Amino acid sequence: MTRVSWQFRKRSIIPGFGLTLGFTIFYLSLIVLLPLSATFVQTSKIGWQHFWHVVTTPRALASYELSFGASLIGAFLNFVLGTMVAWVLVRYQFTGKRLIDSIVDLPFALPTAVAGIALTTLYATTGWFGHPLSSIGVHVAFTRLGVIVALTFIGLPFVVRTVQPVLEDLDKELEEAAASLGASRWQTFARVIYPAIFPAALTGFALAFSRGVGEYGSVIFIAGNMPMRTEIAPLLIVTKLEEYDYGGATAIAVVMLLLSFVMLLAINALQRWSGRREALAGG
Amino acid sequence: MSITVRGISKRFARFAALDSVDLDVPHGRLVALLGPSGSGKTTLLRIIAGLETPDAGSVHFDGRDISDQTTRERRVGFVFQHYALFRHMTVFENVAFGLRVRPRGTRPSAQRIRERVGELLELIQLGSQAGRYPSQLSGGQRQRVALARALAVEPSVLLLDEPFGALDAKVRLELRRWLRALHDEVGVTSVFVTHDQDEALEVADQVAVMNAGRIEQVGTPDEVYHHPATPFVYNFLGNVNLFHGRVDDGVTRLVREATGHLVFIRPHALDLARQPNGANTIRAVTKHIHAAGPVVKVEAVTEWGAPVHVEIGQERLRELSLQKGDEIFITPRDVAVFADD
Repeated sequence: MTRVSWQFRKRSIIPGFGLTLGFTIFYLSLIVLLPLSATFVQTSKIGWQHFWHVVTTPRALASYELSFGASLIGAFLNFVLGTMVAWVLVRYQFTGKRLIDSIVDLPFALPTAVAGIALTTLYATTGWFGHPLSSIGVHVAFTRLGVIVALTFIGLPFVVRTVQPVLEDLDKELEEAAASLGASRWQTFARVIYPAIFPAALTGFALAFSRGVGEYGSVIFIAGNMPMRTEIAPLLIVTKLEEYDYGGATAIAVVMLLLSFVMLLAINALQRWSGRREALAGG
Repeated sequence: MSITVRGISKRFARFAALDSVDLDVPHGRLVALLGPSGSGKTTLLRIIAGLETPDAGSVHFDGRDISDQTTRERRVGFVFQHYALFRHMTVFENVAFGLRVRPRGTRPSAQRIRERVGELLELIQLGSQAGRYPSQLSGGQRQRVALARALAVEPSVLLLDEPFGALDAKVRLELRRWLRALHDEVGVTSVFVTHDQDEALEVADQVAVMNAGRIEQVGTPDEVYHHPATPFVYNFLGNVNLFHGRVDDGVTRLVREATGHLVFIRPHALDLARQPNGANTIRAVTKHIHAAGPVVKVEAVTEWGAPVHVEIGQERLRELSLQKGDEIFITPRDVAVFADD
């Protein structure tokens, strides 16, 4: 009877639950929740009406659309291409494989401003890629397409690094079994391999997407930052900060926070749904 | 469909996994490839399946050379030691897989697939588990699902790689009897790999004993057990006592020193007595008596210090009223002699 108050905690044989949970909550509060709640507090100072006005200006709306839209497209491209890169790195032996493997991490390691400048130089109408592209009428630098390119670039490692270990662990016998049952290579991939790596690829997608939404450094160089056209939401926040409009800046930050949260929750739900059977299989 | 293997060789780096192996599996038979690990038995099975390419030699199904065909074209049913079930699919979907991936022209209707899978699930006695996932089944059930999945495509031959290797002893025993019964019912030409001699002798029509990349002997379980062709086969199929011996006038005498002849005697082919019985008797002292079980296992040491294992009946033990440390006299009844080289 005396233990009723602690019933939410399942008895575990591993000690240290109280200590580790306490530390986890403290740490999360200090590092994540405190700054985020400060955003809300700061925003609340400007009042509901002003808030609504700031976050629904056409310029703000356009920036959300660009930030989330380009991030989604970039994450999706990485979902496909990153899976392919992981596949090549796991499945084939070739010279230079280790080199390619480390190149994958470059977008992580590179200062984002460097990435931005490099991409801008490449894709400007005088650049190596930009020149031939512009001659066929495709303009990348200083357009929305440029934003997508930058976000695809910085999101690449996520899908590769989440899918790679899962592919490595995938039992070769599964493919042999599928082949012996008459499945073609493509059928084996679509029906056996893909379902196994899908949850991991989705995690990579979510990470790449989150990174894209928050990305600033690499985008501002290539985007050109024209309000209503190529201005990303993080830049709008910085612009407002430079104008000492702290309330306005945090208002947009709050909107981005909520939108990101909702989208990550949705991706999480999708993952849970697709991973449900995997979880069963884990037993 | 009969399987013919001719001159198959395979090297892995510097290790010769198979060295010019020939094997004939007649139509409808259940053949065991028996051998210790590293003897090449799994490699041979995988070459028959097309999962591995040999360096030399050919594989024929019904006399037709299929060496150049892929696994997919060979239409073999393959059962893996660790089941290799598709974890994200239910039992039903696993079994239906081979039917669903057929090209549209030859793919059965959804109705027909349901019927066929239903029949197979009845055959493996898992009709009520169709909606479960592999992780919700026991090891024995998983392996039965793997078998049903392989049979669903009506394979030309069924190949099983240590099918019971990952199961515990009791389930193994149950499942191998079940496999024998299933084979009698389905009748598809089957080859299974095992390192367990009891399993091979109990289940198979024919046993091919393999050692170091070669087949040492092929025969019925009776033949290989009672008339082993080589010392290795004798040694591998059951416990054996090894002596030096001398053959005089057709009588084998067990002696202490090396003679150029090795004498193999099974533990149950030795008699124990309290008194010396004829000339060909060796004196020994009992070390341990394990009386639990249908046979009594006596461990003794000969007068020159070599260990001997003897199996006698419970009744004989009572007659002898044998105790640990007693002096006994051992007489061989049935021996096999091989030149020592």
